[in-house]
Amino acid sequence: MTVSLEKAAPTTPKRRFPLSTFAAKVVMAVTGIVFAAFVFVHMVGNLKVFFGADHFNEYAAWLRDAFTPLLPHEGLLWILRAVLLAALVAHVGCAILVAIRGRRARGPHRRRALPLRTFGTRTMLVTGIVLFLFLVFHLLDLTIGAPPAATDVFEHGDAYANLVASFRRPWAAAVYIAAMLALVLHLVHGLWLSAHDLGVTGKRVRAVWKVLGFAVALVVAVGNTSIPLFILLGVVR
Amino acid sequence: MKLTLRIWRQASTDSEGAFADYELDEVTPEFSLLEALDKLNDDLVARGRDPIVFDSDCREGICGSCGIAVDGVPHGPKPNTPSCRQHLRSFQDGQTVVLEPFRARSYPVVRDLAVDRSGLDRIITAGGFVSVDAGTAADADAHQFAHQRAEWALDMAACIGCGACVAACPNASVSLFTGAKLLHLATVPTTGQERARRAADMVEASEKEFGPCSVYGECVAVCPAGIPLTAIAGVNRERLRSVRRGRNRDD
Repeated sequence: MTVSLEKAAPTTPKRRFPLSTFAAKVVMAVTGIVFAAFVFVHMVGNLKVFFGADHFNEYAAWLRDAFTPLLPHEGLLWILRAVLLAALVAHVGCAILVAIRGRRARGPHRRRALPLRTFGTRTMLVTGIVLFLFLVFHLLDLTIGAPPAATDVFEHGDAYANLVASFRRPWAAAVYIAAMLALVLHLVHGLWLSAHDLGVTGKRVRAVWKVLGFAVALVVAVGNTSIPLFILLGVVR
Repeated sequence: MKLTLRIWRQASTDSEGAFADYELDEVTPEFSLLEALDKLNDDLVARGRDPIVFDSDCREGICGSCGIAVDGVPHGPKPNTPSCRQHLRSFQDGQTVVLEPFRARSYPVVRDLAVDRSGLDRIITAGGFVSVDAGTAADADAHQFAHQRAEWALDMAACIGCGACVAACPNASVSLFTGAKLLHLATVPTTGQERARRAADMVEASEKEFGPCSVYGECVAVCPAGIPLTAIAGVNRERLRSVRRGRNRDD
């Protein structure tokens, strides 16, 4: 190692967003885990579609009236929405910050000859953007019910019929399946990354974390993908 | 065997650089990469031309001086092996091999293939030391230190400071280097007194000149000292700990 301590650091960018990279990474890890937990629970709820319209709609209605009268009507729903929206803003904001800092630190000569192993890592921004666009589509389709994202027969309160009608459109089913592909890539790497951002150094915890992260990503994607597939095949109608 | 070496030539930090091709004859697969450059330089000097500048010292992979990116990969095609221990047997006869300096904004080119890696020194200066009075050399058994912990500290202390981790990283992150040093000093019992302060200062110095880690794992693939990915988790483990402890408290 060449020792030249008298040298000053190369000029640093004049304006730097007042958030340390360390803090940004921890925020991304925590919000990312919140999203992972959310999509897992969401997937479990989705699977109720296989138990029939009544069961599915009952669950949808419960979500609106959960913990009443402690919470008002749709109280839990709006608390979740507020938390998820805040997490989304923080996650995306920190992602942009980290991406810019990475590019700036690397300089004009990009890293070449990256092995295929790094595909998921390289595409984190891409899969992130895909997931964000999907989120917008998904909300328009099955929450807000705005055509052309939603079907013309969309009706608030009939979650089951809305879902089946939407997934009968092959292009819509394809959108959902493609989004799940992006999700599995994003989650597998993101959850493994979170172990590092949260400072997990224990050998066994790391091993369990890696397996669990992979399992959660796979189970969520496979579970969700099964729904448009079975609807297209006519098994669920 | 014959090789075409496409080498980055740059007269100084502020001048523009460019690749130039050099034909290399009469080398054998047993040549190390740096020996091939020595031979090329002998030829260049004999013909009255400027030799190619590159860093080199021990030539046995323990000093951390050398560092050339070969076909875009820091140190060369053989994983976990410094440039001086890379050999021409990794290449085909007649192949064109691209040699360029370690790339990162924090590694300004000094000349040709030599870069200024003093950014790493500035991270060590920020906290990679022990500032308690050591006194005279203590008896070796004065501090009880279990075998496995000692081995782990040694594993983390194995870093030779070559800086290939930064050049391997698409974000030019120094996390592997900083993490190895933090975990080494956090494991040794005699260096724990300033653990929180050290973590905060070294991470701050790292972020000043280097990029964020996205766990590409490329650093681990090139590291000649075999520092594992766990070292990267060590950066935030120690930094989070310093948040809990308060960075200006003695541990």
